[in-house]
Amino acid sequence: MEEVIFLRKVFVTALILVLAFASCSFADGVKIGSCIYRFSDAFMLRFRNAMSSESTKEGAELVLADSQNDQATQDSQVDEFIANGVNVLIINPVDRMKSQSIIDKAKSADIPVVFINREPPASILSTYSKAYYVGAKAEESGIEAGEIIAAYFKSHPEADKNKDGKLQFVMLRGENGHQDMILRSRYSVEAISKAGIPPVEIAGAIANWDKLQAMNIMNAFIMSIGPENIEAVIANNDEMALGAVEALKANDYNKGSAEMYIPVVGVDANASALDAMDRGEMLGTVLNDADGQGAAAVKLAVMLAKGQDVSKEVTDGKYIWIPYQKIARGEKK
Amino acid sequence: MAEKSRSKRLMTIGGLIFLALGIILYFAKEPMGLNRKIYDLPIFLIIIGVCSALKGYMSKDKTEEEAALAGKTFAEFLTNNAILLAMLVLVVVICILQPRFMQIRVALDILTQSSTKLIMALGICFTLLIAGTDLSAGRMVGLAAVISASMMQTATYANRFFPDLPQVAVWMPIIIAIIACMVFGALNGFLVAKYDMHPFIATLAVQVIIYGACSLYFDMPPNNSQPIGGIRPDFAQLGQMRLFSGIYRGFPGISILIPIAVVICVIIWFILNKTVFGKNVYAIGGNREAAVVAGINVFRNIMGIFILASCLYGIAGVLEAARTAGATNNYGNGYELDAIAACVVGGVSLNGGIGKVGGIIMGVLIFTIIQYGLQFINVSPMWQQVIKGVIIAVAVAIDLTKYRRK
Repeated sequence: MEEVIFLRKVFVTALILVLAFASCSFADGVKIGSCIYRFSDAFMLRFRNAMSSESTKEGAELVLADSQNDQATQDSQVDEFIANGVNVLIINPVDRMKSQSIIDKAKSADIPVVFINREPPASILSTYSKAYYVGAKAEESGIEAGEIIAAYFKSHPEADKNKDGKLQFVMLRGENGHQDMILRSRYSVEAISKAGIPPVEIAGAIANWDKLQAMNIMNAFIMSIGPENIEAVIANNDEMALGAVEALKANDYNKGSAEMYIPVVGVDANASALDAMDRGEMLGTVLNDADGQGAAAVKLAVMLAKGQDVSKEVTDGKYIWIPYQKIARGEKK
Repeated sequence: MAEKSRSKRLMTIGGLIFLALGIILYFAKEPMGLNRKIYDLPIFLIIIGVCSALKGYMSKDKTEEEAALAGKTFAEFLTNNAILLAMLVLVVVICILQPRFMQIRVALDILTQSSTKLIMALGICFTLLIAGTDLSAGRMVGLAAVISASMMQTATYANRFFPDLPQVAVWMPIIIAIIACMVFGALNGFLVAKYDMHPFIATLAVQVIIYGACSLYFDMPPNNSQPIGGIRPDFAQLGQMRLFSGIYRGFPGISILIPIAVVICVIIWFILNKTVFGKNVYAIGGNREAAVVAGINVFRNIMGIFILASCLYGIAGVLEAARTAGATNNYGNGYELDAIAACVVGGVSLNGGIGKVGGIIMGVLIFTIIQYGLQFINVSPMWQQVIKGVIIAVAVAIDLTKYRRK
């Protein structure tokens, strides 16, 4: 038994030595330590791939760690990075409300830190002058979804079925109280009215981000309101948009005929949504730009590590906002 | 006797009045411009009229005992059918608020939505009949949906679950999905039968296991917990196909789910009423000790009950995946409670031993109509929950009063 423990100790010591040597060899260039809240998240997968390719381009060394959705694990990973002498941190917090401890660690080591994807509250971010955030503004996804609908309406006068100049739409909402649900619902409607089309919500329901619930609810709306009276469907995410599409298809809508068509928009740009857009069943979606955010985070981190002035890159001294991207039918990349 | 013939005559005459009214309205609605006000109401009246008249006419040969039952007081009739009557009132209210409810396609839609729920309820009724329950039912639906959908994606879809899987025959993933459910069903049965565990706790444990296992499967790379989409049209047809659509102008067609549910109903009715296994289920539920003394192999029968039930959940899961052309690990969440509630409203006793297929069909229909109707007039989902809860409580209360009276 003791032998086993001894062997384990030797092994761990050896491992630490190897890591220490390995870290020494990078000492000349910029070394970025980055924690991702969970590696298996599909969005973060694209995000870190973008980070890797950008750091190769910049000639920086990027070390990634999987925080396994556990804030305590992440905190110790940050300690390890600091001990290994990274020049800058890129952190995707597990719990954005608990990012104070990370900021404190970075501050005491005097290393700049860039937060990504999950935005720490301004009260925490402002406690350290070298803390930054790169991400997307949640309300923008709503605005862009609304703009897709508004643009479609302007280019297709027949979409105004009752010719009243207003847009009668159905809203499928996510989980009650969720920040994305509130902002997306509010700003998509606002964007439509800003485009000069008065929006009228003829029906709306909470479908909890769920395709099945959205399908049943949409079915009831089609029956009770009549598909000829619905001019658009706005869903807070793609899954609910796809549920609405299935309900429409079951009533012979959105199957290719121009008269039997109701534009549907979602948010996320997931594979099924892009597929449905290819087939003409869905009008559009909004992409949370992982590639753009990943590249911007690394660029900012490298500049910070080199001690360059970043005041021109950031807004309000701390933020880089990467816009969402509209993907409307026919314009898919 | 006078009581009996009066109620019979009342039914026949009432039916004929409905029938006549329906026919008149049917021909009058075009010229009177009522088309957008009453929709398919005449057809419904004709159907109700014919059914009611036939029932009144056919019930001639009632025995003395049934006649006595028919002569129950009006108040008793009211309490015994409170839920049904409440539903009828609700339907009338909805029809007034939103006349579009009176469409044939709405009725067919309600039947379609009832179909998968009915299959679930028929599965869960076996576990209720032995005074048990099955909390793992909903998660089994999710498991079957995810497994079947994961193997049924089109070759060109960008985000395939198994990128190199060839185009397999449709029946294969279905069988695999149902077998996966049956394995967990067997686990349920084993825990209950072997260790005499209360089904509540045994199936709760299995529910958690299934959800975890399903999530692990769903999280496998390259899928990484993304919703499964790009479902092959031939598989989706299984839940979306409509029969006889367009035999007359505007007829939406009968969803394939309805005949599937009918066939399963017939099979389950046969199993419960005409087989030894069915009799054993009632016997175990009615009095377990007596069943043991009578030489019934309780272990084997309980295993059979849970495996058969899980097979039905599996079918429901596959149909849900086909109907929605997709799946996530959250499919079926909470379905078991809806199914149990529908069974209870349909007269299945939680004390075991009592319950009929006909009652379960009624329970599921009542539940679906109420839920659909509330959604139809856009009642807030929070109020829907409150109303659903009240229905369950009232149904059970009435049920228990009935037994106490006996």
